[in-house]
Amino acid sequence: MRFLLNTGRTITQGSNVEHKNSEAYREEASTCRMNPVDMMELDIEERAPIVVRSAHGEIVMQAIPDAGQARGEVFVCLGPYANHIVSPETHCTGMPDFKATVVDIEPTTEGVWPVWKLMESVGGCRYED
Amino acid sequence: MKIEDVVCTFCGCLCDDLVVEVEGDMVVNVENGCTLANKKFMGNNRLKTPIKRDGGNWKKVGLDEAIQTAAGILLDADRPLLYGWSGTHGEAQTIGVHMAELLGAVIDNTSTVCHGPSIMAIQEVGHPGCTLGQVKNRADVIVYWGANPIEAHPRHMSRYTTYADGFFLKEAFRERKVIVVDIRKTETANIADEFIMVEPGADYALLSALRAIVRGKGDVLPRTVAGVEKEQLIRVADICMSAKFGAMFFGLGLTMSRGKYKNIRNAIELTEELNRHTKFTISPMRGHWNVYGSNEVFTWITGYPFAVDFARGIAFYNPGETTSVDILKRGECDACLVVGSDPGAHFPGDCCRHLADIPTIQIDPHVNATTHLSRLQIPVAVTGIDAEGTAYRMDGVPIRTRKVIDTTYPSDSEVLDKIYQIIRKET
Ligand code: SF4
Repeated sequence: MRFLLNTGRTITQGSNVEHKNSEAYREEASTCRMNPVDMMELDIEERAPIVVRSAHGEIVMQAIPDAGQARGEVFVCLGPYANHIVSPETHCTGMPDFKATVVDIEPTTEGVWPVWKLMESVGGCRYED
Repeated sequence: MKIEDVVCTFCGCLCDDLVVEVEGDMVVNVENGCTLANKKFMGNNRLKTPIKRDGGNWKKVGLDEAIQTAAGILLDADRPLLYGWSGTHGEAQTIGVHMAELLGAVIDNTSTVCHGPSIMAIQEVGHPGCTLGQVKNRADVIVYWGANPIEAHPRHMSRYTTYADGFFLKEAFRERKVIVVDIRKTETANIADEFIMVEPGADYALLSALRAIVRGKGDVLPRTVAGVEKEQLIRVADICMSAKFGAMFFGLGLTMSRGKYKNIRNAIELTEELNRHTKFTISPMRGHWNVYGSNEVFTWITGYPFAVDFARGIAFYNPGETTSVDILKRGECDACLVVGSDPGAHFPGDCCRHLADIPTIQIDPHVNATTHLSRLQIPVAVTGIDAEGTAYRMDGVPIRTRKVIDTTYPSDSEVLDKIYQIIRKET
């Protein structure tokens, strides 16, 4: 099913921004807030893993219901998970479309990657605290 | 020991009323701060020593070796990118700009992915802004457009708007009207007197509709605009026009959405229209504690606020070309120095891929997403905790941040100056 991915700040993201290797940061940055009716239609349970796919890649996140979310739109806090699938196109402004990525979402059985694994997937090398 | 009037170096509010209790080289308690401030001051997960990557292995290195390595990488590069700068003090930003000039590098700050479009709009039509003190004491109508201060600037409403009593507003909560425009019902929207839920990417149309109403041309509008009933727009325009003093604050909901800087231009022009009826101001909700400072420092030295390219020997600025995301997307830079920011977490994945491909150096107190993409990281003191320096609040007011504990970490300025001195000798 097709959605518009929006990103922005959350207080939990901000609280853990200096602990990016932590479980708390991983959990928040990879949480996708969805309208409960959309979740029902896709048969997604609360906190179940989903795969979010755009023209620029795919990423596993977990879904939680958020009634403040319009149907057809999802929200993920800004961070490496959402940005992994955001296009680098800036339309000559320097600014990518961080708030308007068209994505397909479906349930999956895969797990959510830690931040270091995400960085390794683009050529990085894990550093452990 | 309790230290008063401590400045919080987290968000652009730059609150300067924290009371911090320290024991030795530890902060043990914070009063007045929001959750974000408490987490920042009480955090204890610093990177201990510089680290360097050799192929697939990380090793600890001394500060001198790290500085030599960093200078060597930058000197070897043909087109280095110096990125970040919003998480450090003005003195360090100054060294960064001078370093960029010597290297013929591109220097860009994080406004490139936050309020860069706002600055572009301001360059086109100006900025009818004011200080937060004016807002606190005078504004009886507040508009948050595409901004969610409860999550991003938690004390903005209690220090300056909704809950802050001011000189002319003795009972702010009752006397101020709050209007929130967003594409989703956020926590901030929940406490608004008027919440306008706009369709995604349709802010420009909505701003134009409000301009038409304020201009007295509301009859040309259809029944709904951008998913919003015309009646609500007329009501909101009336609230704004009958304000004694209105203050609009906008966030990334406008700068990152379709239309980008044109949205901001339209919002500024709406503010201009409103000034035919009353006093109205508009200001960006700047995110990082010193991102405004990076624009100030870059501008007073180079003439440009971000995305400054020194490749021609003179300062050149062309957003869309000299902006970091575009440079990384094109795979153009061959080395990158990151200071006080985390592009690994905040740039599109394709840009991160290029950062991992080239020698990326990071100067930052903490391990973050960019650490895994880097070849070298130098930990530094945190400005506002164990280093001091100048910062600019979101309304452009400079505030000197304080040092509350002593540690052995060098400050950003000290590390950058050492790298700069080596580069100066070699160029
Ligand atoms: S609102 Fe911002 S500056 Fe003020 S205490 Fe919270 S994080 Fe710090």
